[in-house]
Amino acid sequence: MLDRRTFLKVGGLLAAGAAASACSPVYARLAGALRPAAAWPPAEEGTFRALQRLTFGPTAAERIEAAAVGLPGWIEGQLAPSQIADPAADLLVRPLDSLQLEASDLAAWDREDVVRELRRASLLRQIYSRRQLLEVMVEFWTDHFNISVDKGDCWFLKTVDDREVIRRHALGNFRDLLWASAHSPAMLVYLDNQANLKGTPNENYARELMELHTLGVHGGYDQADVMELARCLTGWSVRSRFWRGEFVFRGDDHDTGSKDVIHVHIEPAGQAEAERVLDVLALHRATADHLARKLVRRFVGESVEQYGDIVARCARALVESGGDIGAMLRPILLDLPLGRIAEPKFKRPLNFVISSLRMLDGDTDGGSGVQDPLARMGQLPFAWATPDGPTDEAAPWKGGLVSRWQFALDLMTGRLNGTRVPLEAWRHTDEKGESNSVLDRFATLLLGSAASEPMRRALQPLVSDDGSLLVAGILASPAFQWR
Amino acid sequence: MATTHSRRAFLEALAAAPLAAWAWPSWMPRLAFAPAQQGPRGDVLVVVFLRGAADALNIVVPHGEAAYFRIRPTLAVPRPDDRRPEKALRIIDLDGFFGFHPALAPLLPAWQAGQLAVVHACGAPDESRSHFQAMELMERGLTDLHGPASGWIARHLASLDTGNTSPLRAVGLGDRVQQSLRGSIPVTALRSIADFHLGGDLAAAQALQEALATMYRGEGELQGIGQDTLHILDTLASLDPLAYRPSDGALYPDGDLGMSLRQVAALIKAEVGLEAAAIDVGGWDTHFAQGSSQGLMAGLLDDLAGGLAAFHADLAEEMNRITLVVMTEFGRRAYENASLGTDHGHGGLMFLLGGHVEGGKVHAQWPGLEPEQLFGPGDLAVTVDYRDILAEICLKRLNNPAMDRIFPDFSSTVRGVIREA
Repeated sequence: MLDRRTFLKVGGLLAAGAAASACSPVYARLAGALRPAAAWPPAEEGTFRALQRLTFGPTAAERIEAAAVGLPGWIEGQLAPSQIADPAADLLVRPLDSLQLEASDLAAWDREDVVRELRRASLLRQIYSRRQLLEVMVEFWTDHFNISVDKGDCWFLKTVDDREVIRRHALGNFRDLLWASAHSPAMLVYLDNQANLKGTPNENYARELMELHTLGVHGGYDQADVMELARCLTGWSVRSRFWRGEFVFRGDDHDTGSKDVIHVHIEPAGQAEAERVLDVLALHRATADHLARKLVRRFVGESVEQYGDIVARCARALVESGGDIGAMLRPILLDLPLGRIAEPKFKRPLNFVISSLRMLDGDTDGGSGVQDPLARMGQLPFAWATPDGPTDEAAPWKGGLVSRWQFALDLMTGRLNGTRVPLEAWRHTDEKGESNSVLDRFATLLLGSAASEPMRRALQPLVSDDGSLLVAGILASPAFQWR
Repeated sequence: MATTHSRRAFLEALAAAPLAAWAWPSWMPRLAFAPAQQGPRGDVLVVVFLRGAADALNIVVPHGEAAYFRIRPTLAVPRPDDRRPEKALRIIDLDGFFGFHPALAPLLPAWQAGQLAVVHACGAPDESRSHFQAMELMERGLTDLHGPASGWIARHLASLDTGNTSPLRAVGLGDRVQQSLRGSIPVTALRSIADFHLGGDLAAAQALQEALATMYRGEGELQGIGQDTLHILDTLASLDPLAYRPSDGALYPDGDLGMSLRQVAALIKAEVGLEAAAIDVGGWDTHFAQGSSQGLMAGLLDDLAGGLAAFHADLAEEMNRITLVVMTEFGRRAYENASLGTDHGHGGLMFLLGGHVEGGKVHAQWPGLEPEQLFGPGDLAVTVDYRDILAEICLKRLNNPAMDRIFPDFSSTVRGVIREA
């Protein structure tokens, strides 16, 4: 229920959000009644910052929604994505036929088309889906279980992996996610496990499975464990002719004989050997700790050591819940008052681009207009070559300011293919001649609060009738590079 | 001179200090835009990567090996003294044993000036024959995938604080940043200098740039990078890539490589803080219809030789502070295949171009092409690890002795490819 105070608090945003989402008659009606004469009030800072971590950049509508139901309620809602109707994203993604196909059908497609559709779908969902926490976690697990479409058959296998592994389990159970990933042909190809044969083992997947996917590099395993796990995984392969791209266990290539992996004795059992290890790894304390650290880094900040208590609670929740990802997230998202987070996070290129489009209610087809700039910035989806995934550290991304400025200007001057921001929708709320207030409105929309005095002075010359250059200036500002 | 001396003493002190723990005191002026004689430390490093595994045996041909002509019945380039084809289609002899593919003729001036060297039968220990894995290992400078995820050039730059905060300190030419440049240093992907401006409507770009200059004023790392970036924008604005006139009438070929080398030359001359540039050249995966003196690969070599020759002529004045390396992930099978091409092999080659290169020479511990001398399924063996070459460049030309950081799981051997100072 929306009380009067909340209405007044979010009224300014509501008006703009409503104008921008012409398809939302409820908001339009509310907006008509509540359009304020004054400048937009700043969003409650804690809520705004929390939403910055929980979404790819909150839309006006999401800010209103979260303010109305309260942050904890909004988060609980997001933790149950299947309960959130998502017609806009569904509608946009539906025409992308390749997304629903099996590997053997995809193999007959044109390589460029398959990869382009996968990227488009990913970007469109990040921008338009109302299940934002799901999308944020899909990004997290896509990075965690990184697969590059440039490796071998991954160009079509990744589409299946994205659907059946990452998206299916992103807010489900980590044990199921790990299990699915290990049986995923894309992963087996990406990390060379089809070349892991009895007598000529290839340790690539076995190593990354422990180093990156579960225990972490200091997780207490050694080279002997890698070799033993590789032996368990011999014969885990991918069909190359009939049912091309399906998982297959080839007993003839499997190294029979018992193994010992991280102090667990494994009796000969074919495919079940590595599956036994997966079960041990999934809920191992070192795995829980490794995942907790990565999640805290992603949602809270880079100085993970400062948040030792949250890491500990998050790790415990994973083990105690038997792998429930939602349970693991709650200590970070709910128990920790996210609004208390003092540490800003530098936006990676993907977040910069998507947040620009989301927060301005931009129109995009997810094609070259966004993919080309992302490639230039070094974070085109599914293109990261190494299994560690695009880094969550800020430093390596800071050199790309020019591409960001360029994107801001190109976006706001209508120079991106299939991508634009219809500012006319926002202009309904402009007060003619009050440039300060226009400036503050867009600053509030994009940065959460009014611009600082020096920033206001810098932006003042950019204020014009259509506002596009002003918005470009805010998108290019230091403040918008952080969330 | 006193300035030079004190600077050298200072740099020596820097080299002696533990690099990881060393940081510039905050009162030090940034050197990025200091006068030209105080430019970046060591040479500008340019790495040209031939993607797809270039066929070393048909680029610098071991024509002294009878086996070469035997195992490549259709692909062999005709001998230097073979009178049947016209001269322009024959191997250009270099030392009686090795010779250039005829398409490399434009490289002869650099060769004769002693500024171009070849390292043959070199490569990586990796035997995967997988482009993906081999390129990745090579760009990360590792023996196996267990090791730092960053690239070797990034680790070189990260372990050598030259005080250079220019966003153009490391530049990847092309759409994406090369793996070799990825790491804890800022790196700029630059398709072209023409890209490094705000584009579009001139007035709009100008207005935005003025606002940015104000907004990025002040303390903070990002603000610092922003100011440097704006500075570069200004600098490059005067560097109209279309108006850029290469020295000495050097003519860069059309196409990506020529464009990229031309951009790098312009950046070097403009003194914008460039220390390392990476350029990719694709198309070398010649399984099919590779050709001999003429054909698919000859076309690629035309571009490569034309580009390098133009770069050499254009930067004749600057050659003493440049080291350019051409490398590829592995070589190709010594035996030609059934589709007039070659399959994935092992040993490859490198070219080195620069004022301090031990040039005019093919550096090789030649393993031979007789069946018992070939490696694995019939490949040229690797007798020199590519990291020996890169390490020597780092040590002698880039002033960086931090080998344990750049090549953490490798201990290098000096091969004498760089002249002693």
